[in-house]
Amino acid sequence: MSPDILDEAMEIWFGPQHVSAHGWATKLTLVGDYVVECDPNAGYFHRSAEKVLEFKNFRQGSLVLERMCMLEAFLAEYPYVAAVEKIAEIEVPERAKVMRTIMMEMSRLHSIQFWWGQFNAELGFFTMALWPWVDREYSLDVFEELTGSRHTVSYSTPGGVKYDFTDKFMETLDRAVGRFEDRLQKFRDMQMGSPTFRARTEGIGLYDVKQGLKWGLSGPPIKACGVPMDLRKDDPDPNLSYDMVDFEIPITENPEHPGQSDALDRMEQRFKEAEVACDIVKQLIPQIPDGPIVDPKARGKANRLPEGEAYSRIEGTRGITSLWLKTQDKAQTAYRAKIRGPCIASYYALKDLVPGSKFADFIVIFGSLDPYPGWWDR
Amino acid sequence: MIGGVMLQFDFFAWLAGIPQWLEDVILWIWGIVKGIIWWIWDIIQWVWAQVFLPTNFMFLFRAVLFPGLVFVVLALIWAVWFTRKLWGRIQDRRGPVHMGKYGGLQLFADAIKLIAKESIIPDNAKRWMFRFLPGLLLVIVLLPFCFIPWDFEYWYIADLSVSLVLVFAFLTAVPVIALLAGWVSGSKYSLIGGFRAANNQFAAEIPMIISTIGPALLAGSLSLMGIAQAQTNIWFAALLPINLATFLVAAIASVGVFPFDAPVADSEIIFGWRTEFTGIYFTLTYFAEFAEQMLYSALIVALFLGGPVGFPFLPGAVNFIIKFIITFFFFVLVSSSFQRLRQDQIVHYCWKYLLPLALLNVIVIMFAIVYLPGLAALLPLGGG
Repeated sequence: MSPDILDEAMEIWFGPQHVSAHGWATKLTLVGDYVVECDPNAGYFHRSAEKVLEFKNFRQGSLVLERMCMLEAFLAEYPYVAAVEKIAEIEVPERAKVMRTIMMEMSRLHSIQFWWGQFNAELGFFTMALWPWVDREYSLDVFEELTGSRHTVSYSTPGGVKYDFTDKFMETLDRAVGRFEDRLQKFRDMQMGSPTFRARTEGIGLYDVKQGLKWGLSGPPIKACGVPMDLRKDDPDPNLSYDMVDFEIPITENPEHPGQSDALDRMEQRFKEAEVACDIVKQLIPQIPDGPIVDPKARGKANRLPEGEAYSRIEGTRGITSLWLKTQDKAQTAYRAKIRGPCIASYYALKDLVPGSKFADFIVIFGSLDPYPGWWDR
Repeated sequence: MIGGVMLQFDFFAWLAGIPQWLEDVILWIWGIVKGIIWWIWDIIQWVWAQVFLPTNFMFLFRAVLFPGLVFVVLALIWAVWFTRKLWGRIQDRRGPVHMGKYGGLQLFADAIKLIAKESIIPDNAKRWMFRFLPGLLLVIVLLPFCFIPWDFEYWYIADLSVSLVLVFAFLTAVPVIALLAGWVSGSKYSLIGGFRAANNQFAAEIPMIISTIGPALLAGSLSLMGIAQAQTNIWFAALLPINLATFLVAAIASVGVFPFDAPVADSEIIFGWRTEFTGIYFTLTYFAEFAEQMLYSALIVALFLGGPVGFPFLPGAVNFIIKFIITFFFFVLVSSSFQRLRQDQIVHYCWKYLLPLALLNVIVIMFAIVYLPGLAALLPLGGG
């Protein structure tokens, strides 16, 4: 890049008032139609979640966590609950474990449905954006039936879950999963068969495993390169029931560029993730055991925790979601909580990934990595 | 006073003359006013007489009411409603429902809201151009409607021997205005959108004009009326099906709706060259987009689908409008079922696929006329 090229460069702020930039701002330097420099900026969505966690007691903390990413609320709140359970040594009833897992997979499904529509809206295809969002309404009906809330569910609590499954809820769940499984196949063929969609995504945002791991990517962006890296298999949480189901880690291997992934592969990867999530829910529904949904002693145990620290992590929709919690003896609130969201890696990966691509492809690369600003502004 | 001249001035006579003088002044002013009023009245009488001359009255009626301005604006309102409703149906939702029956009054509600909004003009904008361009855009898009042959006799406004060329001359100005509007807005996103609009026209215009060569050749005329009249025996859509397709695609690309909406790609450059327009200015550009789609639909009907030719028991204009609605339906259908293309891909598709296909059809039909005498007999070229 010679200096006289940069003389003609145009600096453009993509966000924070941009319609596609919901809580983030990236400074792009354009030469002609090409991006030569990409500078992701964090801080436009900051809500001091980590500091707030130092003032909330151990049953309230998960309510802060689920607001980190409302699209995967069941998944987002869980690391805090798991960390509290580890420090307080709380036993979780079997029934609660299965219920948690079902709802977490439903949350993953919902998040993928939302992302699918959003990605199509970013690509400029509003018809395909609204079709998955119809199915998303059915997923939201499930959450509403169970918790009374569509987004801020606050379902898991130390020692179990808050609300029991009812018959009406099971009907809603069957309807949502069955409907989506049916429509997923049709939409998938429509989406992947569309020549205009392929023209926009093939070869866009291409990186290989080595780069991906260097940036710290996890979840679908790295699984799309063909790396079976999934905490559901690699490090199953003892208080979740992934061991009761039989599933394969979804990976995508494109024969055209093995070990690499482009935007099309990451789309394919999300479809596979959704299929596996549907499969896990369907396998778990007949296996729900009877029993209590929450340990009655947990409330007292979680009131004041002993001194200790715990690290918990789960496989979120966007990658590894983890939390480190440190407590003081007999204190009602945490001493320090550190959240590690999956998206800070995928957001700052843009810095290396975007330069050299066209300006119109920037949003395609961004959307295919699916960073959610809540996860990097803590 | 000795040795001086004394002015003889009868003060009282002067005092007595003042009313007379005032009366004269008033009468003089009244004379002027009366003259102006008579003059205006004469003009009104003349205009009235001109308007109600049988030929003039009906021409004005056509220009203003039926195939003219009011009809086009009503059709525009219908087109916006139809587009929104059809998009809603295709996208698994209901479209506008609340205002009026089937949401028919939604557009009026939107227009009142937009007009009532504050018009914000950015500091960096060139203020007068910023105000002027949206209105100019709408006028330029509405003007070519006067050359549309809604019927062979009587129900058309103007018939020029070169109206096809003139229509394209008007339409070429549209992306120039878009580029200018993006430029004077004083925003980087607007500027990028303006250049993308120019890029779209650069890509689409040549295939589009080549596609119209076929009908013009077969009809032996550059007038839209002449081309429509040449289709009395056989519609050009039967002879030039590829040209019909290429013209439709190029028209969509030229208007800049999905999938060729890179100039106003909302996820990339906010709203392209329209980013800074608010209130009434935005409304005008929004209407201009729909008017352009309608204009291209009407052109397709006139060039390929036989114009007013159709059911013999219906008036020609009704035939035209039926075909016009069907063509507009295809516009909405195409624009709701494809992904947006990147601007270099638009040029790629238009030049690599549309242009050769459009030329191919013209060449094929030329050979067909030469070697199939029965075909040439159907056309005004004669032959046989």
